[in-house]
Amino acid sequence: MNIRYFGLEMARQLRNARSLVFTFAVPVAMLLIFGGTYGAQYDSAAHLQWIIVTTVQMGAYGAMMAALAQAFTIVNERSVGWNRQLRITPLSGTGYMITKVSSALAVGLLSIIVVFAVSILALHAHLSVQGWLMAGLGLWAGIIPFALIAVLIGQFAKPSFAQPLFMVTFLGLAILGGLWVPLDILPTWVGNVAQAAPSYWLNKLGQMGAGLTGNIGTPTIVLGAWTLVLAALIAWRYRRDSARA
Amino acid sequence: MTKPAIRLSGLTKKFGSLTAVNNVDLAIEPGEVVALLGPNGAGKSTTIDLLLGLARPTDGSAELFGENPRQAIVTGRVGAMLQGGALLPTTTVRESIALIHALHKHPLSVEEAMERAGVTDLAKQKIASLSGGQMQRARFAVAVVSNPDLLILDEPTAAMDVAARHSFWESMREFTALGKTVVFATHYLDEADTFADRIVIMSQGRIIADGTPSEVKSVVTGRTLSFTLESADTASLERLVAVTHLEQRGNRVSLQSEDSDATLRALLTSYPAATDIEIVSRNMDDAFMALTAASEGASK
Repeated sequence: MNIRYFGLEMARQLRNARSLVFTFAVPVAMLLIFGGTYGAQYDSAAHLQWIIVTTVQMGAYGAMMAALAQAFTIVNERSVGWNRQLRITPLSGTGYMITKVSSALAVGLLSIIVVFAVSILALHAHLSVQGWLMAGLGLWAGIIPFALIAVLIGQFAKPSFAQPLFMVTFLGLAILGGLWVPLDILPTWVGNVAQAAPSYWLNKLGQMGAGLTGNIGTPTIVLGAWTLVLAALIAWRYRRDSARA
Repeated sequence: MTKPAIRLSGLTKKFGSLTAVNNVDLAIEPGEVVALLGPNGAGKSTTIDLLLGLARPTDGSAELFGENPRQAIVTGRVGAMLQGGALLPTTTVRESIALIHALHKHPLSVEEAMERAGVTDLAKQKIASLSGGQMQRARFAVAVVSNPDLLILDEPTAAMDVAARHSFWESMREFTALGKTVVFATHYLDEADTFADRIVIMSQGRIIADGTPSEVKSVVTGRTLSFTLESADTASLERLVAVTHLEQRGNRVSLQSEDSDATLRALLTSYPAATDIEIVSRNMDDAFMALTAASEGASK
């Protein structure tokens, strides 16, 4: 990966107002509303204070958004012809995708940090340093498959199709992950389907980190499986595209 | 001996039953400025994609400076302005150049690339706000930032007005003066005539002419003689000495002649009323039409 190109890319993306609203402003606003309302209560299922559970949910939501939003940058760059311009540079196709995944992870990390910081500073959420660190790390590692979903959408979606596809993907994942409303209040079958969703395990991984408890085996296996399958699909699609050229 | 900047050997590209590029052999030496001409669908853009390694040939091969095209791109020896390639609308001119600059190993400075393309004044403008001519100049800056030895330009002056075309070729002259190789595809035959020292004409995927502008123009011999004449008798005009072709538009008649001097004497003897007489050499347009018509005819 080319570090200078990556740096310029990041600077460019962080100036994009629309993505900033979705990746930073929305989760922070929801955190302030829900965290402020129910903060002090205790979530017996997660063995964590509600404020912490909400912070993790919103951190997961923001980071997931940040990762998925890469789909737009890829679709846009492809549709305007920037990718064609990049093909006459030393940047390889693989290098391009690695840059995009790295951007997704970097913006995701930033979003997690912002949400946690707001929770600590504005809502006085209390957790050990180690708890915050592990929660952040869990969320960060957990968004790898989401970055790959973004690359996959970016590979095949046309600009007009990217928006609805993105909305469906993102709403579905947010609901199944229990990032907005607790899964307990939804029908049982939703809860069952959620067991296969990466966002569900993303949230769980964050909660386990925050609580410094639980077996990370299952989330690792599920998220790892998503990562492998998505990476295989991306590689297959990439080979097919370059073979057709 | 230096390796040719471009060597295409038996280059062929098929899309299903359509043969877009048909067994093309071509060698372009360093320092040449070559115009690639041809009607739409002649295979120019496909040839450019193949020689840059952006498409895979069905058969044959393309080499740049004796290496495979990708290698030449990675070392920064090739810059290009391609059809369908574009800059990001939300970035500024400077940012676009800086992004590409960051990817190359031994680039020019961003300032120098902007200077060479004449876009220094536009540095802070958003790509989306540029006019057609400004956009092409910005793309030219992006194409030269790697400090390439070979530039490939696919219709660089399309969508430019006359003044913009003029200043674009001014920048190009400075580039070729450094001894660099340039290959440009164009629809403007006068551009090919003026700026290229070699013209390659493609039609239906094949090269049908290759030579200096004057060599290419020499395929159409003779001159065009035109004049105004009331109620002209076209049948007898066509029988004048050395006339090969007649066209009439209102009172204006133009004759193509193998020997314009002889035709003119005969015309004035038989039709002293002819006025506003003009005699011009046949130009690149005529050569182009003649060559492409001949090649299309031959394949039918």
